[in-house]
Amino acid sequence: MNENVHSLIGAYAVDAVTPDERADFEAHLSACEDCTAELAGLRETAAMLGEADVAAAPAGLRASVLEEIGRTAQLPPLTEDDAAVARDAEGPVPLEAAREARQDRHARTRRGWPRLAVAAAVASVLAVGGLVGSTLMADRDDQLALEKDVMMVTSAPDAKSMDLGLGTAHLVVSERMSTVVAMGDDCPHPKDGMAYQLWLVMDDGSKEAGPTFMPDADGTFMTMVHMDMEGVAAVAVTEEPMGGSTEPTSTEVAVVEL
Amino acid sequence: MSANGSERRLRAVPADRADATPDAHPGARTDADALADLLVRTGRGDQAAFERVYDALAGTVHGLALRIVRDPQLAEDVAQEALVEVWRAAARYRPEHGSARAWVLTITHRRAVDRVRSEQAHADRLMNHGPRHAVAAAEQLDRPDDVVDAMDAQWRAARVRKGLEALTPLQREALELTYYKGYTNRQLAESLGIPLGTAKARIRDAMIRLRDHWEVAR
Repeated sequence: MNENVHSLIGAYAVDAVTPDERADFEAHLSACEDCTAELAGLRETAAMLGEADVAAAPAGLRASVLEEIGRTAQLPPLTEDDAAVARDAEGPVPLEAAREARQDRHARTRRGWPRLAVAAAVASVLAVGGLVGSTLMADRDDQLALEKDVMMVTSAPDAKSMDLGLGTAHLVVSERMSTVVAMGDDCPHPKDGMAYQLWLVMDDGSKEAGPTFMPDADGTFMTMVHMDMEGVAAVAVTEEPMGGSTEPTSTEVAVVEL
Repeated sequence: MSANGSERRLRAVPADRADATPDAHPGARTDADALADLLVRTGRGDQAAFERVYDALAGTVHGLALRIVRDPQLAEDVAQEALVEVWRAAARYRPEHGSARAWVLTITHRRAVDRVRSEQAHADRLMNHGPRHAVAAAEQLDRPDDVVDAMDAQWRAARVRKGLEALTPLQREALELTYYKGYTNRQLAESLGIPLGTAKARIRDAMIRLRDHWEVAR
């Protein structure tokens, strides 16, 4: 494998890497057992370096954290298969299975990720009665969390990538992770006042509303929806009024049959 | 800085097992297992377990955040984000892949470094703060409940000092600038006027030396 990437292991262990370098290294890691083994020790070492100072946490922090976790959903565990490719939540999220997705990422910088254009539906579509309100990713951390989740999906062993026909966008579907990701560049903008909305078309023709999303100025977007893929026949995109609809109100601008 | 005499003696102790190293801490193994168990339970939605993880690590998380971002308010934000992320992602922690402490501090460090970099436009503010968290340290002394934790923290801090002393000055400098100040390998190379490959190798060599010095299990 690329010696250049391999040589980043120390820098990676202390987070002395750019986002692109991090992605490159993590992709390398999935294919390099030596690096994986070495990294485990370097990570423990890096954590020990982090114990140079202990400063009693501010008085209000405990209550504030406990209050926030009370309204923070937890990520599901990874299965053994997932774990083989994703060592931990902050850890390697290798992209071997999604070279395409990786190239997409290389086409833009981290800053290029659509901050306001990213919509995520972290809850099950069904659990919220069909409509998943779009979540505008004003918070960079949420955006990074989404990006991480997306990379987890695109690197799932059963991830399938399909052209969406909206700019250079494509869908990545993982049945195992019960997730559909839509992402791409050069996506045309919807009409004024409108947003794109993702729909899951069921075998019986009914449609489950997915998140809305807006491409950013560069036409870049990324969104994902978690749902049991059993019985999902197709994924469609329509233009809907901002905020989304419970039923499609226009003909689809893109359809992908699964 | 070269290793001092007492350190040489300490390092001469045969150390086949982690327990036999001068850096081993009585009960450290048990604590690590207990913490891993608590983190696993946190991943299953056990809030009481999370609270115990919080109590065990919040001071370390906050200390690391403060060390890196310097600004007390930012440090508190980073600590909160990291601790909530611990809750959010706990189900993805795998004890067989590393310690709970390392997992939590990896999250914390990355958050802190990301924050420092996003604040780079205001880099000058980093220079404007006085002695590091003197107030926080004083707070800690005022809390009798933390006596045991404070001893543990002092032991860990001493281990860091000794480890850094075991590095060459250039290696130590490389980790000060990257791990503690958030430089990327490229920024390290440019600020020191060394080739990029040298910078990467220096960081790696420093980490390997520390790992071996601390007898970190591989």
